[in-house]
Amino acid sequence: MRRGVPWLRHAVLILVSAAMLLPFYWVLKTAITDENIYAYPPRLLPQNPHPYNFVDVWYLIPFPRYLLNSIVVSLLAVVGNVVLNAMAAYALTQSFRAKKLVILLLLSCMLIPFQATIIPAYLITARIGLLNSYLGLALPLLSTIVCIFIYKSAFEAVPRSLVEAARMDGLSEWRIITHVLLPLSRPAIATNVILAFIWSWNSFMWPLIITRDADMQTLPLGLARFLSYMEDTTGALYAFVCLVLAPGILVFLMAQSAFIRGLTHGATKG
Amino acid sequence: MILCFLLPSLAIFLLYRVIPLGWNAVLSFQSWSPMRPPRWVGLEHYEEMLFYDDVFWTALWNTLIWIGAAPLAIVLALGIALLVNSDLKGASVYRTIVFLSYPLMTVAVGIIWRWMYDERGGFINWALRELGLIDKPLGFLQSFDLAMPSVILTDIWQVIGFYMIILLTGLQQIPQHLYEAARVDGVPRHAVFLHITLPMLRPSLFLCAVIGLLNSFTSFDLVYVMTNGGPGHATELLVTYIYKLGFGQTKFDYAAAVTVVQFLLLLVLTFLANRLAGGNAGAVEKD
Repeated sequence: MRRGVPWLRHAVLILVSAAMLLPFYWVLKTAITDENIYAYPPRLLPQNPHPYNFVDVWYLIPFPRYLLNSIVVSLLAVVGNVVLNAMAAYALTQSFRAKKLVILLLLSCMLIPFQATIIPAYLITARIGLLNSYLGLALPLLSTIVCIFIYKSAFEAVPRSLVEAARMDGLSEWRIITHVLLPLSRPAIATNVILAFIWSWNSFMWPLIITRDADMQTLPLGLARFLSYMEDTTGALYAFVCLVLAPGILVFLMAQSAFIRGLTHGATKG
Repeated sequence: MILCFLLPSLAIFLLYRVIPLGWNAVLSFQSWSPMRPPRWVGLEHYEEMLFYDDVFWTALWNTLIWIGAAPLAIVLALGIALLVNSDLKGASVYRTIVFLSYPLMTVAVGIIWRWMYDERGGFINWALRELGLIDKPLGFLQSFDLAMPSVILTDIWQVIGFYMIILLTGLQQIPQHLYEAARVDGVPRHAVFLHITLPMLRPSLFLCAVIGLLNSFTSFDLVYVMTNGGPGHATELLVTYIYKLGFGQTKFDYAAAVTVVQFLLLLVLTFLANRLAGGNAGAVEKD
């Protein structure tokens, strides 16, 4: 489809791109500037760029601790999803009684957004004694229905004869998953990793509800807490934002197509 | 035997989906707090909510406005998708730039935009003043009238790239021969758009609409960081109101009743969107 004048389309798209990128630039500029950030008019270019705000972040807040907490929770979520979803998906490719019922149950669970269950979810987590713990933070994220179905369709694409042959050779169900199905389902694994990572890494409401100690806070919580102390009065806040976003942006740019495929698969996160 | 493989996942869904949904419904008919034993009160909470709670109605209305803004974002995204869906040089760079904000941490996005809207250091006030459109800086997030549109604009900024990708996928699935046939027949361009592109795009458009619906539930992070529902309750959504009721005022029972209403609203709207889309708006994983 070729239509319109190319330069006109470029002009529109450059405008759109500017609107998308400008907020990033504005925050980065503020983070590396040493002027009074409330001076009016604001400078468009950073004046005497310097890294002090980033140093401040290191001293003002337990950044490494937040980072560690975020990494532990995300790691639990990623491993949980990759393993548990594969097991569940394998079961769904086999025939057993009540299979239809299980699938129906899963599809209806997809209609229940997590946000609609927070009050009892909190009470349940309190009752099993997992408030304020890594496991409590990760538990609701350990398995995701969309990701089970992504695995399921990948497993179904593997020739049945291959699975049958493996079974004839006496491979256990577990080894069929790890040695036959998973190696042939790399894109599905990638999607599971990416979705589980994004959802756990960015997760805010759940940690907000169940963490009590500053020691257990994840990055988004730390960010929100710093904001409530500082009320956008310091460049350090924006340095913090840059530190939080930079790894995400880098990972995204490196694995862009996998990200986009994963996110469109998980569009209606269940 | 094979069921063992399903058990861990099922246990998690049971613990964090099914049981909470049931417990939540029960809780909404009880008078309960962590200190007291539960007592049945029937529809008391619902009565209070529907007839005496202005904040509930404000939050409900704001949630509907939030959902209502989705079509605007979808139309914008469709425009961008049409522009980048071609042999235009650099189309993939534009695509990357527009999509970039979507997977990022919403809390950080909220802080970025607080700064963009700031009265002194913010870009938007500066630009508007430079252009001579306003004399005094506007407190976008402090104003009763401007706060909601400002937060919604931020939300659109974050999700528009996602809508674009979904619509782009839809556009690329339209068979090329339809366009060739139209060209041979000399069909004008706007007619091609109205009679081929739009109808073929219907599933993608409604998928976007469903995501827009869910978005009104999941936008807790953005509102919490940018305005915390304020000023007053001008940007209160049902989801932020539920959080405040439950974890600010420990009115778990009443919060549960509001949750039930919110959930039913989502179910009804999702169902309607599905009907309009011809039944399979949510079926993305089957491509």
